[in-house]
Amino acid sequence: MKQFNISRIGNFIYRDIILLKGAIITTLSVVSAIFFIVFLFSLRGDHQITSGEFMSVFGKFYVALGVLFIFSVFKEAHNQKSNHFYFSLPVSSYERIAAAWLSTFVVYTLVFSILGFLIGQIAIILGSIFSKTNFHLLPIFSESYWHTVKVYFVIQPVFLYGAIAFNKNRVGKTLLVVVLFVIGLIVLNMMLFGILNYNYDVFSGEGLASEAFDKTGQDFSAIGKGFFMGIFAPLMLLASYFKIVEKEV
Amino acid sequence: MIQIKDLRFYYPKSKIILDNITLDFVPGNIYGLFGKNGEGKSTLMKIMTGLLFPKAGYYRVLGKDISGRNVKCLQEIFMVPEDFELPGLKISTYEQVNSPFYPGFSRDQFYKLIEEFKLSADENISTLSFGNKKKVLIAFGIATNTKLLLMDEPTNGLDIPSKSQFRKIMALAVDEGKCIIISTHQVRDLHSLINHIVILDQSKVVFDQPLSNISEHLWFGKPMRDERESIIYSETSFGGKAMLFRQDRDETEVDLELLFNAVLSESNKINNALNTFHDEAI
Repeated sequence: MKQFNISRIGNFIYRDIILLKGAIITTLSVVSAIFFIVFLFSLRGDHQITSGEFMSVFGKFYVALGVLFIFSVFKEAHNQKSNHFYFSLPVSSYERIAAAWLSTFVVYTLVFSILGFLIGQIAIILGSIFSKTNFHLLPIFSESYWHTVKVYFVIQPVFLYGAIAFNKNRVGKTLLVVVLFVIGLIVLNMMLFGILNYNYDVFSGEGLASEAFDKTGQDFSAIGKGFFMGIFAPLMLLASYFKIVEKEV
Repeated sequence: MIQIKDLRFYYPKSKIILDNITLDFVPGNIYGLFGKNGEGKSTLMKIMTGLLFPKAGYYRVLGKDISGRNVKCLQEIFMVPEDFELPGLKISTYEQVNSPFYPGFSRDQFYKLIEEFKLSADENISTLSFGNKKKVLIAFGIATNTKLLLMDEPTNGLDIPSKSQFRKIMALAVDEGKCIIISTHQVRDLHSLINHIVILDQSKVVFDQPLSNISEHLWFGKPMRDERESIIYSETSFGGKAMLFRQDRDETEVDLELLFNAVLSESNKINNALNTFHDEAI
């Protein structure tokens, strides 16, 4: 058993959604209105919504609202007056993390993409009725769409960890940690560059250096992606699990 | 059902809240957990529910360590906290989203209790008073049919008719397989309900006795002039009530307030006497 049960995960996701129903409906209504207005404007001129136009608005809201959704899911766990119910509910820590990941990544991505598609399609239909727009299906599954989903896939566990670990100013503290982490990576990068290339007389700003960067990028970008997608994100989920195990009220 | 041995707890950068606590809670009883403010009653309840982890000691619920928040264990525990916030849902929706997690949950029992508390399943919890929210939670807690039901100040916020209704409902809720632990300052609200008393003082358990043992060996009331020498504890207020060894006197109702005050000032004397009687009986 007994510590991992699919139906319990389903019930827990359902519970989270019902508890946040009001906020979810309000947010999706506002986003739908914004999407609709922007998509109508996109129909001017070429009478179509391109995948680039779709992603320029969808991408911004998708990541930002996803992050806010992650923090909302763990709101109950940090409220001194309701965290008793959250932690005493017969749901294991594995199930809590699985439910949070499924709802804030899989369910969220599906719902938000379908919403974006439907609103865009409604705008196209209205455009074809009231103006010269030719009816066409909204092209949402572009390379840019999958890239945005991948980015969210990597950053989602980071914010999931922040949502569990910090009790107050959770969004701000998580962003601060992410910024410090990125600055640390840049500094490390510069140091490594200095150490590894100085002996070969390769200095930034020179043609040889940019060529070296391009080649290195081609050779190692797959490894970098593999690291973030295959190791970093699951590691952060594991860290989130241990954080929730040790969490007290 | 619950075994606690040499349990120790303190919050970070704080004094010890619970020290060397050893208790054994058995099914079929309603325990009254008493203590002054800040003596660790709520903390002990949170530890029993797996919401806080002890710093040292042995602690088992149904033979399992609760600190890992084992699902099987949590399915048999429900806690009604003193201060809480319920989501702004209809009572029926609240039941629908939370009841699937408790295998023993009885919907019929829940809605019957809601009706008994003069509430409607269609009412939105956010529009209810604190007392009525507490009734929803008490009804839910009882309907979970967990083996262990913990209640922290359950009568706080309840009006006078609701308190007697609560006593009636709780008396019906207990059975041989269940253990109910009630922590309260309002001893008068529960005098007819509890059958075992645990008192915490200065981070320790200073009293742990079944009510039957207390009423068998202690006498509560106004003593005669010639009985003054056998008084264990007395209070000049409330007309000079006193606690005496019962000996051959008629049995009296246990005055929990007097017993509590007596234990805080004369715990060794009372414990020694009750334990001596108990050992002699064995």
